[in-house]
Amino acid sequence: MEDEKRERLLVVGGGVVIGVIAALLVYLGNPGNMGFCIACFMRDTAGALGLHSAKAVQYVRPEVIGLILGGMAMALYRKEFSPKGGSAPVTRFALGFFAMIGALMFLGCPFRMILRLAGGDLNAIFGIVGFVAGILCGVFFLNRGYSLARTHKLGGAEGYVMPAIVVTLLVLLVAAPEFIHFTEAGEGPGAKHAVIAVSLAAGLVVGAIAQRTRLCMVGGIRDMVLFRQSRLLEGFVAVFAAALVTNLVLNAVMGGGYFKLGFAEQPVAHTDGLWNALGTFLLGYACVLLGGCPLRQTILSGEGNSDSAITILGLAAGAAFAHNFGLASSGKGPTAAGMVAVVVGILVVTLIAVVNSSSAKSGK
Amino acid sequence: MGLATYVATFFSHFGAIKTRGLLREAGIDATLMPVPRALSSSCGTCLRYQARSAAPLGQDQMGEVEQIAEERDGAYAIVWGAEE
Repeated sequence: MEDEKRERLLVVGGGVVIGVIAALLVYLGNPGNMGFCIACFMRDTAGALGLHSAKAVQYVRPEVIGLILGGMAMALYRKEFSPKGGSAPVTRFALGFFAMIGALMFLGCPFRMILRLAGGDLNAIFGIVGFVAGILCGVFFLNRGYSLARTHKLGGAEGYVMPAIVVTLLVLLVAAPEFIHFTEAGEGPGAKHAVIAVSLAAGLVVGAIAQRTRLCMVGGIRDMVLFRQSRLLEGFVAVFAAALVTNLVLNAVMGGGYFKLGFAEQPVAHTDGLWNALGTFLLGYACVLLGGCPLRQTILSGEGNSDSAITILGLAAGAAFAHNFGLASSGKGPTAAGMVAVVVGILVVTLIAVVNSSSAKSGK
Repeated sequence: MGLATYVATFFSHFGAIKTRGLLREAGIDATLMPVPRALSSSCGTCLRYQARSAAPLGQDQMGEVEQIAEERDGAYAIVWGAEE
């Protein structure tokens, strides 16, 4: 019981620290309500590498690098670094791809969904409704035998590939920025960022905490539905509460700009409730079949999990497609192509769920 | 030999559900729950049960089981692991 209490305190305490850091990153230069957003940051990084040409969203986000390296450092410290993978990699790539299509319809991952709400953006409520509905759909298939093939232990070097990739990105950003595309100042959210060292440090701290606490928005809701256990969810409630309080304090001290209650004119957001909900429906649906939200996948890739690393690559490919083919929403709202992509995504994810459920596999 | 408490982790959520049914058929009551953090950094579904041995099922019924740990005073000791 003592251990359980300590674990709960750790999750809530970790959530508070993460919420404060996320809100402060906006004060230090990040776009509004975007202290952290795995989807947006993967999208910006894909753009920086020239994988898409949307000039408004191009920057190698050091926070993602920090998350992976922070997760790896904590896993090594706790002797939990364990290279493993081999569980339906192409299917995971596809699920990651469509999770990103859903996230860019809504304009944020589950982490940013909470941060948007903490900044007063009520559009996030539609996001939460869709996200929970998507998770419930995924849980339906989990209870009917959905499973991707088992993971296997892999050679030691495999687990260090994703950390090596992000270290290379960091070296490029610091030492050879001429090889990277950058959003020009004033040209979009990609130009808004804290200084590299601060972003990296924030990512390292949050990555270490997220590894230790296993924070996962999808896991939190899934555990609540399946086991009535609220521990992981409490972590995200703590993130929300801490970010909200920090935003309100910043708003009071700075005379506005950090909290605005309402639907209209929110930073990097649109007001189409139906498509906000459908976007996060696809996101939640895909993520529960993957076994975790984008933040969790990022941390697991730092722990040596190749399946999560493949998922991250799927997220990046989804971001590149979303911007190359006009699927991503903007502040003006969703695009017609984006709506088609979300519907296709829901159908594809359902197909993946059906063919990987035990009744389909056994032919019953 | 008395009863000991074991926690089994699985390759999938459904594996845990299926194994709970097999344990019940063998007269062992098992509880589905999230994997304890002290046992693993992975989050998934596990089964907690009391039995005389860690693996009360036949080898052919253990395909979904990833590992089994004995729980004692809140600590876990791995006593069985699936072959690679």
